[in-house]
Amino acid sequence: MATYKVQIDDVVRDATPAEVAQIETRQAEVEAQAEAAEARAVARQAVLDRLGLTEQEAQLLLGS
Amino acid sequence: MGVPSGYTSAQVVQAVPTGINSALVLISSTTIGSAVASVTVSSAFSSTYDNYKIIVSGGVASTDSFLKLTLGATATGYYYFGVYGSANWGSTVSGDGAANTTFWSSGSASANSLNANIELIAPNLAKNTSYTTIYSNTRTGGTHIMYGGYLTDTTQYTAFTLTTNSGTITGGTIRVYGYANS
Repeated sequence: MATYKVQIDDVVRDATPAEVAQIETRQAEVEAQAEAAEARAVARQAVLDRLGLTEQEAQLLLGS
Repeated sequence: MGVPSGYTSAQVVQAVPTGINSALVLISSTTIGSAVASVTVSSAFSSTYDNYKIIVSGGVASTDSFLKLTLGATATGYYYFGVYGSANWGSTVSGDGAANTTFWSSGSASANSLNANIELIAPNLAKNTSYTTIYSNTRTGGTHIMYGGYLTDTTQYTAFTLTTNSGTITGGTIRVYGYANS
């Protein structure tokens, strides 16, 4: 298990196992969000490729 | 802002005479320790103020990352959305957000600075808390980010925690201000 230091006001101490688990859960969630965003970008690009549009043209048409 | 005639300083006032209300009052100033993954400010919010500003400045991170904001012990129900861009991208911006997640994205942690300008609405009221933040990753090509969001519960919070997504943070200061209610 990784170790972390946490600070409560002015006191720095080692994270408890529960705190470590929470830190790592949140890190995993960020990784999942990044992977989901990448998947959405790939899917969007696939659609643009089928339509023969550039990203800039898509933004002009769709506003995003 | 210029200094008005008859005044010697344009600084925020931290102590004012009885009968005069300061609009923005410093509640706490916490110096971030060495190589910590998170910092909790335990007595930040109270019934004295409805709304708050949190400023993070100075300090460094061990790796390019970002700061997550959580309230009390709440680990779910955070919603946020915003836009970000980079000077290197010209006028192009991207959207980003998350629903029912475990934190609010709230600040930058890079190798040359920590920064966040967070506004919290009603964290100590029995209402949904909402937030906005503006921050910039100050590394070369870093992104500039604006987020807003809310928390689905109505817990009356007194504490918040900033946690780096990866690596650690060292130094810098977390200042909490309250907006006077009247």
